[in-house]
Amino acid sequence: MITFIQFLITGLRLGSVYALIALGYTMVYGIIKLINFAHGDFIMVGGYSLFFTIPIMMNVGIPGWLAVVPAIVVCACVGMLVELLAYRPVRKTGNNLTCLITAIAMSFVLENLAQAIPAIGPDPKVPYTLFAKTISVGGVAISHATIITVAVSAVIMAALYFFTQKSRIGCAMRCVSEDKEAATLMGINVNHTIIVTFGIGAGLAAVAALMYIAQYPKVFTTMGATLGIYAFVAAVLGGIGSLPGAVLGGLLIGIVQSGANTYISSSMSDTFVYLILIIVLMIRPAGILGKNVGEKV
Amino acid sequence: MKQKNLLSLFLACCLAFTLTACGGKTEEPEAGGGDAAPAEEASGETITLGMIGPLTGSLAVYGTHIEKGVKLAIDEINAAGGVALSDGACQLAVETKDDQGDPTECVNAMNALISDGIQLVVGSATSGCTSAITSVANSEGVVMITPSGTADSLTTAMDFVFRTCFRDSFQGELAAQWAKDEGYTKVGIVYCSADTYSAGLRDAFTAACGDKGLEIVAEESVATMTEVDYTNQFNKMVSAGAEMVFTPFYYDVMGPYLVPQARSVGFTGVLLGADGVDNTETTIPDGADLSVYNDVYFVNHYSTELAASDVSTNFVKNYEAAYGETPNNFDALAYDAVYVYKTAMEACGASDAASVQAALADTSAAYDTTCGSFSFDETGTPIKNGVLMGYTYTAGDEDVSKITVKALSLS
Amino acid sequence: MKQTSIKARYLVNLAAALLLFALAVVIGMTGGSTMKLKITPSLWQCSYLIIMAASLNLVLGFLGQLSLGHCGFMAVGAYAASLFSLALQRAGFYTEKSGPAFMLVLLLSFLIAGASAALLGLLVGIPALRLKGDYLAIITLGFGMIIVNLINNLPFCGQQGLSQGSASSALYATGLGFSNDEKMQYLWVAALVVILCMTVMFMFVRSKYGRCIRAIRDNEIAAAASGINVSYYKVMTFTISAFFAGITGTLYACCNASLSTTSFAFTNGSILNSVFIVVMVVVGGMGSLTGSVIAAVVLFLLNYTIKNGAWVAALPAFLQNVFTYPMLVYSIALIVVIMFRPRGIMGSREFALCDIPKWPAWISSYFASRGLEKSAKKEAANHG
Repeated sequence: MITFIQFLITGLRLGSVYALIALGYTMVYGIIKLINFAHGDFIMVGGYSLFFTIPIMMNVGIPGWLAVVPAIVVCACVGMLVELLAYRPVRKTGNNLTCLITAIAMSFVLENLAQAIPAIGPDPKVPYTLFAKTISVGGVAISHATIITVAVSAVIMAALYFFTQKSRIGCAMRCVSEDKEAATLMGINVNHTIIVTFGIGAGLAAVAALMYIAQYPKVFTTMGATLGIYAFVAAVLGGIGSLPGAVLGGLLIGIVQSGANTYISSSMSDTFVYLILIIVLMIRPAGILGKNVGEKV
Repeated sequence: MKQKNLLSLFLACCLAFTLTACGGKTEEPEAGGGDAAPAEEASGETITLGMIGPLTGSLAVYGTHIEKGVKLAIDEINAAGGVALSDGACQLAVETKDDQGDPTECVNAMNALISDGIQLVVGSATSGCTSAITSVANSEGVVMITPSGTADSLTTAMDFVFRTCFRDSFQGELAAQWAKDEGYTKVGIVYCSADTYSAGLRDAFTAACGDKGLEIVAEESVATMTEVDYTNQFNKMVSAGAEMVFTPFYYDVMGPYLVPQARSVGFTGVLLGADGVDNTETTIPDGADLSVYNDVYFVNHYSTELAASDVSTNFVKNYEAAYGETPNNFDALAYDAVYVYKTAMEACGASDAASVQAALADTSAAYDTTCGSFSFDETGTPIKNGVLMGYTYTAGDEDVSKITVKALSLS
Repeated sequence: MKQTSIKARYLVNLAAALLLFALAVVIGMTGGSTMKLKITPSLWQCSYLIIMAASLNLVLGFLGQLSLGHCGFMAVGAYAASLFSLALQRAGFYTEKSGPAFMLVLLLSFLIAGASAALLGLLVGIPALRLKGDYLAIITLGFGMIIVNLINNLPFCGQQGLSQGSASSALYATGLGFSNDEKMQYLWVAALVVILCMTVMFMFVRSKYGRCIRAIRDNEIAAAASGINVSYYKVMTFTISAFFAGITGTLYACCNASLSTTSFAFTNGSILNSVFIVVMVVVGGMGSLTGSVIAAVVLFLLNYTIKNGAWVAALPAFLQNVFTYPMLVYSIALIVVIMFRPRGIMGSREFALCDIPKWPAWISSYFASRGLEKSAKKEAANHG
């Protein structure tokens, strides 16, 4: 029984981080139908920004977690810059495929650029541990960070939901995602909307980075690569473009990984994650909560 | 539109260049310091060593440390007057190649070094890369010393391949023997099946446990060496009743992930690692509960406390002066590799591959290194003794302190 | 195009191929130390990169589906070939790397590698190709990772292969691994494999099957409406592509004395990874086999000379710093290519030797059409 509870908690711990990252993925994909491979690297940018700012914050006497504010600003700037410099020009001339390849290239640029900066370099860095305390439930310890991550995911999910449903720019986003040309005709500035989306998506990555380093306190330049892939798998599993789907998918991936670790084979959890993804996509091609849109001829 | 494209391109390039150019500026003084170091001009001839390691990419941390160790040793040797050959003293230089942690690139780098006329090579970092170039070294007759390729099969009968580190099987056996001496009967293993270092140590440890009658009650693996979560694995260790768990991982996962997570699921026994665990003290997060790092032990190459000579103390002192950080095993072993070359070259009085190979193949020659004095066995692996080190923390201390428990040798 | 001109083109290309082959044999016979240490290994590496890029182009350029796990198939081929040859070596079937017995083993290794990869391609293709676009990309990426993960956990791929060790990332002895001298000696094998594979691929894309898959790329629904069995052709192309990727695995096993799964990952340090193969196809031109060949060779040379060449040292210091991070250079270059030539440098045009005299005309017409486009756009902007 303890094993079972422990496996669920570990799943939750991993899954909550994936969910938070998947929210950013799904935001961007929903609007421009682009798998933003560089999203994982935004987490890396956020991680380093937190690594540098948390000690400064603590010295001044401000609670460490508030370092997330400058991190959000840094990430949002990087996100918007990436959209402005790479994705927008490519979107004009190319198709979905070329955009996707640009995104992969952008991810390489960010990873290698980070390594080239002397203050960062290839050595992994260990940031300050936040929310390190644990509470014990029935003999099993849950770290505060896990609980906070789940809560933050839920809050962000709800906030994003209201933002996209109620706010003016949120409506514009939904409109752009449905039909770009029609959105232009309605007087929506499509480019403006997309860049705001990137800003928000990358800002979410900073929040995700905060929660990630609270649970797994290490930052290194290639940390975004695998993290990004898992989060993307989570977003696809839940139904890409759907906010609750992203959270559900993230938690599911975490639990599957942890379950495969515990009950099947600990070094083959990746295999099971992808198997689950493949099976779900076979049965429901649009993901668990995704809308299945028929193809128009 | 065209102009905008160009503009964005230009901006991107500017960004990239300025950022990397920053990198260049800070590196230059170091190189300059190195050049200024030679105190006396030697006979003018320079021996160029080759160095191969992953300087970029995901394994860059190993390669950059090897490079630092090699450069430090060369600067020291040059400052002390160079290598004394039969026809006068020579200065040392190094030609560095990046293999990005990939065997193919590693072979290319090796071939390029050979065609540049280099006959003595230090490298590469991982066993996978090193195994790709051992056949090149042997068939082309070029000496190589790997500072950190630990896999047993790398060095075979007295050929051109040597190393300064342990062999996996030796280290695994030391670990198993210590476990037996301490009276443990139920041991567990958590390792990474996809990594040569980790899997090699696990194989050796398992075999040694079988010989010594230790029962392996649970064995769990993770998929990559950068895995972040170990709680499920340790959960199983706890339920299987392991008193001690063998964890052949590197310090970058021990500090932030493995040790705290193992304790968080209630594992209170001993964690025993290998030389990769050294330097865990640098990866302990600030603000973490330091008492969890008690009872973490590891087999290591050297201990400054037990050192008979002052080579290792000097090394640590000079390294800290040169780079402003504590050296790790990669630094030390690469530093040793250069000094082994120096000793061998001085012994035979020449710097060509054949003479140096013959000098290194002499099993009676002793090398004074950071890990104490050692000589090579008939395969080209050093015969050295291990040291058991560990971490301890008593409430009220500011930091975890590294302690030397005892010297280890195979009985 | 007229019948005669097609024949002439084939003849010229055949002559070029024969010349290439003869060159390989000559290099193998004669050749000094630079030849042995630098050029021959480079040629071997080019040979597998060329086939990798061209075989991925079948799926990416001709079928229009993005596959991010192509190196997984290569890994299967490489491990199958090396384990097979190692088993025969252990069994005493051959002892040294020459003679008819070894030639037979080499041939069988190529076939076994290709067949095992093709089988896996079939298994992956049937479920995966029901999806398309981004979903397919992510599934193939997943499969690539699963393959690597499974190989890591195979109980008999340990340090010495077959006999010793448990699951580990490195298979040290491949049984096929050639030394530098043997690489020279068997350079003709690499040349022959490249020529054969490229010929088969050319024949495939120019056959009726090739026309069908291009129809599917251009408009799947229209293709289905014209009676093309879309899923059949998709799976077939995918399998063929996997077959050739498997064959490259054998070349890789010959070229390297050791295998480790990290070499076949989704991304890694070298230019041999699933992503970089995609880069080659995109830069060369999606739908141009010759484009892939050229891109593979050019990118290989670029990568090789950045690390081992002299020209980098002649650059200004800050540029040298940039070049210590080659991946940074490639990814920026890739973005630039995509911005200005979204379908790759060659587009879907094929390179043919006898077309070289026509190049000036093509280039001037290209610029003329761009000029026209520009003025048309200006016009439109003025009116708008």
